[in-house]
Amino acid sequence: MSHSMNVFTAKTPRRKGTRGCYIKLLNESLRLCALAVKPFFPFPLHKTFFPTTKLTEILLMSLFFYLLTTFTHAQEIDLLLKNGHVIDPANNINARLDVAIAEGKIVKVATGIATDKAKKVVDVTGLYVCPGFIDIHTHVFVGSKPETFADGSLSLSPDDFTFRAGVTTVVDAGTSGWRNFPVFKDQVIDRSKTRILAFLNIAGAGMSGKPTQEDINDMDPAKASEAIQKYPDIIVGVKIGHYEGNLWTPFENAVAAADRSNVPLLVECHLPQYSLEDQLNRMRSGDIITHSFEKVSERMSVVDEQGNVRPFVKQAQKRGILFDVGHGGAGFWFSEAMPALQQGLTPNSFGTDLHRFSMNAGMKDMLNVMSKYLSMGMTKEDIIVRATWAPAKSIKRTDLGQLGEGAVADVAVLRLRSGDFGFVDAGGNKIEGKQKFEAELTIRAGKIVWDLNGISAVKFVK
Amino acid sequence: METQKCLHRRVLPCVLFLFWMIQVGTLQAQQVDILLKGGHVIDPKNKIDSRMDVAIVENKIVQVAPDIPITNAKKVIDVKGLYVTPGLIDMHVHVFMGNDLDAYIANGPTSVAPDGFTFRAGVTTVVDAGSSGWRNFRQLKEQTIDKAQTRVLALLNIVGTGMVGRFEEQDVNDMNPVMTAHMIKQLFPDIIVGIKAAHYWGDFTQVDRAVEAGKLADVPVMVDFGEHDPPNSIEALFMKHLRPGDIFTHTYSYGPTKRETVVDENGKVKPFIAEARKRGILFDVGHGGGAFSWRQAVPAMQQGFTPDVISTDLHIQSMNGGMKDLANVLSKFINMGMSLQDAIARATWAPANVINKKELGNLSVGTEADVAVFNVRKGDFGFVDVRGTKLKGTQKLEAELTIRAGKIVWDLNGVSAPAWDAK
Repeated sequence: MSHSMNVFTAKTPRRKGTRGCYIKLLNESLRLCALAVKPFFPFPLHKTFFPTTKLTEILLMSLFFYLLTTFTHAQEIDLLLKNGHVIDPANNINARLDVAIAEGKIVKVATGIATDKAKKVVDVTGLYVCPGFIDIHTHVFVGSKPETFADGSLSLSPDDFTFRAGVTTVVDAGTSGWRNFPVFKDQVIDRSKTRILAFLNIAGAGMSGKPTQEDINDMDPAKASEAIQKYPDIIVGVKIGHYEGNLWTPFENAVAAADRSNVPLLVECHLPQYSLEDQLNRMRSGDIITHSFEKVSERMSVVDEQGNVRPFVKQAQKRGILFDVGHGGAGFWFSEAMPALQQGLTPNSFGTDLHRFSMNAGMKDMLNVMSKYLSMGMTKEDIIVRATWAPAKSIKRTDLGQLGEGAVADVAVLRLRSGDFGFVDAGGNKIEGKQKFEAELTIRAGKIVWDLNGISAVKFVK
Repeated sequence: METQKCLHRRVLPCVLFLFWMIQVGTLQAQQVDILLKGGHVIDPKNKIDSRMDVAIVENKIVQVAPDIPITNAKKVIDVKGLYVTPGLIDMHVHVFMGNDLDAYIANGPTSVAPDGFTFRAGVTTVVDAGSSGWRNFRQLKEQTIDKAQTRVLALLNIVGTGMVGRFEEQDVNDMNPVMTAHMIKQLFPDIIVGIKAAHYWGDFTQVDRAVEAGKLADVPVMVDFGEHDPPNSIEALFMKHLRPGDIFTHTYSYGPTKRETVVDENGKVKPFIAEARKRGILFDVGHGGGAFSWRQAVPAMQQGFTPDVISTDLHIQSMNGGMKDLANVLSKFINMGMSLQDAIARATWAPANVINKKELGNLSVGTEADVAVFNVRKGDFGFVDVRGTKLKGTQKLEAELTIRAGKIVWDLNGVSAPAWDAK
């Protein structure tokens, strides 16, 4: 009912919808319809005889409802993003189009969507309209345990960092395991505006610190897959990381848990006894390795001393292993990423590895990581796909990372700034660039959650 | 005799040489760690507003002067075209983040962790505005103050449990001036810099208790005077209840049903404001998620009623709204016509004076090296207030580099970093 009321009130500028107004308008419409159909009935309608009156009534009513549904359909827009350049790789869109949003969903992406049917129109001329970004590597199980990731102060509150960078979905990289996932869900996932998905750590208590996080006896594939099946909408994969022993049981258990639930495995870091080649060999097609371009003592880098991508790394890429950036505080070096990019080892996603030690360092936020790749020579289209559709597919969440009709309205509107910029890697080395992404507007499930310059705001009148 | 003379002749040069060696050694120890070269320094306390270099050794400022030679510097950062200021002080934030999911700001989810917001906006010191009271301040200290890289100071709430929830904040029996003053004077005189009174629905009791505690501890009181229904008179607050040096926050708030405004419905600053100023009442911005309206701020600024301190009231309901961060709030005032120098003063030396922490908010030789370096962006910008209305502007502050106690804690474009392919 509230809908039809809106339909009519929108047509009548003079007053707000009330029941009386509604009835009055209904009568008015019927009268107009009667006038419209009058020429087809050369005799006085109501006065001649009873059956015709009935027939007319039915006719008028159907006409009325036809018009009503037409109007309702055309006027359902809550938010209309007008004249932006839409980049929606999932739907092969890369053109100037309008995006209409209603009730938290994308309802239309087309040229010239009429503004008079929209409750709110935001002019995004000169800006890029993209699906809200997906950051597949974060640590957001924030809590008050000191110096700890799981339920601790080394993790961060996602909303503090996401929307200002166009990110609407984050995937927590195994900060919790099956034992403390419910705490994570209650404490963070259910209370954040950012959509939070998770890789479940094969370690039962997640990244709880030493020695519990390395306890092989608490890396139970049955328990892990039980949790995955209990929370299929949130848990999208399994993670292995932070194991310093040389047994392969933890890795095998993680693969087993992922196998049972048909989800990908995320291979993180701090696995010093496993060789890179062995890790890649044991991974399945569709599994993800992160910190791809790190240069640290505990793991061989993907590029050899001569600057060539190692043959077994290329082999793994061919086999369908996905490479995530996982920038973090130590996981991204130009000396590795640059030759890798030049030789075709491009990352599949721009996971930030957001945590306390990366937030203010070279990483900063996902847009900054994306801007790095812009300066390294990747096209903006290739960047956007790696921030949206590619990670969505990798975690089997094809409902996300795209702007198809009916998709949840998670949208990022970007400006491409020009100027002299610099970008720093984990080693404190800089690359210069002339362009940088800036998040102008972020929409999460149809609601504006970030508006840098007030493009959706009304002008202040004195 | 002869041998003695000879000895003198030989020893003296040796001694002199030794002295020389020691001096060179000291000089080398005095080698500059970071030299900020060619920037425009704005240091309101020292009345510096010109092109100067800033030299830092370990965690201290050692020299601010034109043309400091680069030869003795381990790291030279070219900050030409940028503004170098004392690290900003954000005098009104809520950073008592914690796991009590039923709580509001005290140990609760409405507070934020400071480091994610401060350095990227040039802030090096924040003052938590009464999130905790004497009963739970120790927890704030343990959880946040002792762990943060940002310097965190605090105003202690006159309510013993701080901002646990609106309901608990009404408990007059938990507004204990003696315990509040004891905690400040006896236990944490270096960290607790004042008292907060806020969110009270009743009469002047809460403010009076806070002032009583303020007198006992010899610290200022900050008042958020916003939830009285009908509103209590702010004229009475300024002229009768507060002392000179006490602080009125959320100055440009527009919530006429529960909070008396400083600008009347005809857009005129109320006449008693000037008297309150004369009396020494201080006005803080405290932007927040609901406390900064253009319809108050614009006429106030036009009529010369500028704030004494510019602050954010950072918490989860302001962080992604019109507020964003302190650099954005300062930019709002610059776009309303305030000079960059005046805006910087209101987030450095002015708050340092208000909270009586004169070692902060300046670049005097010997002070801890908390420094912010800003770029003033030119372009078309928009700034939103808490009512969702926008003021257009052409300038915006962007924090390029932030230094906390001599350490680089934020470098937006890598001005301090070498090129990745440098040999």
